[in-house]
This record gives sequence, structure tokens and C-alpha cells, in this order.
Amino acid sequence: MEMQARRYTPVATLAGRGTAAEFKKSLSGVAVGAAGVIHALGDGEVRVFAANGGVTRAWKAPEQAACLTVAPDGRVLVGVPGRVEIYGAAGNRVGGFSVGESGKQADVTAVKMFRDTILVADASARLVRRYDANGVERGLIGNQHKTGSFMLPNRSLDIDVDSAGVVYATDTGRHQVTSWKLDGAPVAAFGRFGQAKPEDFVGCCNPVNLAVAPDGCLVTGEKAAARVKVFGPDRALLAVIGPEHFDSMCTHIHLAVDSSGRIVAADPVRRTMTIFGRS
Amino acid sequence: MSETNTRRKFIDTTCRIIGFAALGGVGAVLTTRASAHAVFQVDPLKCTSCDLCRTSCVLSLSAVKAVNEFSKCGYCMLCPAYMDVTSAPNEKGVPSGKVCPQDALKRRVVGKEDLDDPNNNYYEYSVDEPKCTGCGKCIKACKPPFGNGSLRLEIRYDRCVTCNECSILIACPEEAIVRVPAPGLSPLLTQGETANG
Repeated sequence: MEMQARRYTPVATLAGRGTAAEFKKSLSGVAVGAAGVIHALGDGEVRVFAANGGVTRAWKAPEQAACLTVAPDGRVLVGVPGRVEIYGAAGNRVGGFSVGESGKQADVTAVKMFRDTILVADASARLVRRYDANGVERGLIGNQHKTGSFMLPNRSLDIDVDSAGVVYATDTGRHQVTSWKLDGAPVAAFGRFGQAKPEDFVGCCNPVNLAVAPDGCLVTGEKAAARVKVFGPDRALLAVIGPEHFDSMCTHIHLAVDSSGRIVAADPVRRTMTIFGRS
Repeated sequence: MSETNTRRKFIDTTCRIIGFAALGGVGAVLTTRASAHAVFQVDPLKCTSCDLCRTSCVLSLSAVKAVNEFSKCGYCMLCPAYMDVTSAPNEKGVPSGKVCPQDALKRRVVGKEDLDDPNNNYYEYSVDEPKCTGCGKCIKACKPPFGNGSLRLEIRYDRCVTCNECSILIACPEEAIVRVPAPGLSPLLTQGETANG
């Protein structure tokens, strides 16, 4: 289905400078839970935000935590080097499991959940690892590439999964987003290096972040220049959220999309989250 | 004043003079040794790759060279320090222009080369030092957020003539030429910075 070009504008800013919710040191992840509740990871904490921008609850996370996701049942999964920690919705730790091969600590840069399957981006192995609900590894995604793994010059791998269980991954060195079935079979790839067209990805390694919208659109985040793009289900470019909204030194823009299609973009340099809505 | 007091005062004064002289001598020797074992180096955290290293060195070909820190390098196919990403793409969609005006940044495929799709290759980048002028164009292009920041400028001691007053130090607006202990490791390495991608 062909979609019309869109325009997005900022509708709210969370964790702004000087607010009680301000992140003082770091902002390394964002996720949207049930009912559109925004969760963010920073300053060694998981913070849950109310619609008015206030923090409704927060709890300690490991200092090196790099990413998070919210499961449909409200549990929060936090990725740390070599591990995934699992918290109940109230912040109580309810479990966790090791990631990677023994003796080689996995650099966990993204974690997502599809039903009982936990998907973990292991940037050091340049693969996505698939785990069952008990934390037992059940398979790999990305090893069917000709090179046996994703190409990640920037040592970061971001993933998301849609409602049908199709896994999307940033293949930054190839300037592509690739999609995969849960069993690791490749589905499709799109994107290419280029400077001339706005839909192309520039630089050494882009896009660096992504999120899947409920309507099948794909949202990508880029560095140098920092910008966000929205691609339709047919992967035609629908919108560009320009670099004026982000710090120019951003090497990541952490992304999440809520059920109404609003894009939450976390700028780790400014340590703020901006919600973009369609206008 | 008694004779005993006068003698004691004389001995005391003499001992003080000898003591200060000895301390001064030891200090002078230590300072000389220290300066003999300290060398000039570029502090990459201050360096802005302004091109003055190329033009200010007393040597016709500067003693400052680009160095690639392999542990930080992304081994990119589309290395922004190697390729001029704004130049026209060739038939494989790869930019045809290079950043280095001297073609001093070289690359080779790591492992078996995929000739059909260069996107499937990792490349190791190294500097051809006799060609490098220390202009810093590659360093600037590799800086985050464009690249991983693996390239930096470094004074090479096989070329440096160890001037008493380094002319690059005088010219550098960022005070990025610093004294470090011999053998002159980059301050970046001695500060223990590691790759973070």
C-alpha cells in the first residue's frame, strides 16, 4: 500500500534540562510499554514517565546497562554487557540470564521481546541471539549473511520486531536494514549508501538505530548528520526529521514508537527525549 | 660573644651553604636528566587537525604523521577518512575520490576479498609515512560522529630533530604539543583510553 509523505513535529520533550526528570550523566535507551508508557534508561536507572513528563517510578539498573525493552506483560528487560536482567513492572528484579559464549562477554546493544522469545543484539559477535523465556539460547540471526554476520564498523547493532515476528536489524556497514524470520531465515533488505537522495544512508555506517511502527512503517536513526527517517511498508521514504532536532555529535538516536504512531527519539548527547507526532 | 659561639656559627653557616649547593646540584642534574628523557608529542584530545603540523615543522616534510589505532578502527568499507564521501560514486556505488591529497592512507582487505560486493569486506587502513605530510585531513574526517576516531597525529622520532623549542609547539593554537616521557607514547595511550566505537 502506497502511503503519502508525512510531516512530523515535536509535541513534547521529556527529561529536559532543569526538570526533575533530567538525566545528569547518561541516557542510553528508550522503550514504550503498554498504554504508551515511556521507559528510559540513564544515570544507572530505569525511569518510567507519566504523560505529563514526570517520573512515576524509578529503580536502579546496572551502571553499564546499555538498552531496555518493555514486554507486553509489563516486565522490563535491561541489556548489560554479557547479560540481560529482567525486572517486574514495579522494578523488582525477577530474573536474568547470560548472553554470549563462555569466556567472551557479549556487548548487548539491544534487547526486544516477541511473545516468549527474547531477542538480544550481540554487537561483539555481530549477531542477534534468540532466547526462550527461560534464557536458553535457541538460535542465531544474521549468520546466514555471506560474511556470517552483520557488518558493524561502529560496533553497535540495533533491532526491533514487528507484530508478525519479523526481526529488523541495522546492518550499518552495508548501509541497510535487514529483516529476518525468527528462525534466522532472511526476509528482505533495503537501503544503500548515498549522498544525493534523502532516502540514502551516508557516512561509514548508517542507520544506527531503528524502530518498527504498528502500521508497518520503519523508523531509522542516523548519525552525521543526526536525523530520523520514516519509511513506509513498501520502504518508500515518507518523512525526514531533520538534524535541527538533535545534537550534531549524536552517534545514536534511540528510538521507540507508541501505539498511535508517535516517535520517541532519545538524544544521548542532550540527554533529552523528544516525542514527534504527525502534523 | 664567646669564641665557642663564633666557631659554632661559622660551622653552621658553612654546613648550610654546602647543603644548599648540594641540593641545587642534585636538582640541576635531575632536571637535565628529566629534560633529556622528555620528548614532544601530540595530545590527540587537544588536537584539532588544523594543518599547522604540516606547515610549521622545521623539516620540509613534517615529523608529524597520521597513525591509525587499530583497536579503535571500524575497518569500514566506506571509511570517511579514506574516501571523499561527497565525491561521485563509481560503478559499484562507492565514492571515487580520496580524502588524502598524497594518497598516503592505504588499505587492504582483511581475509578473503569479496570482489562482487565490496560491502562484504573489512579493510585494514595504514599510513604510508614517507608520503604523509601530517595535514590531518584524515584525522578530521575520522572524528566522531563521522568515524570511530581511530586516526590521530603523532610525532615520529625517526624524523624529529628534537629542537630545543619545537616550532610546531610555538605555532599550535590549541597547546596540543606536550612534553611526555621518552619514548614518547601518545598521551592517549598513557591515559589508558580504550576503544568504545
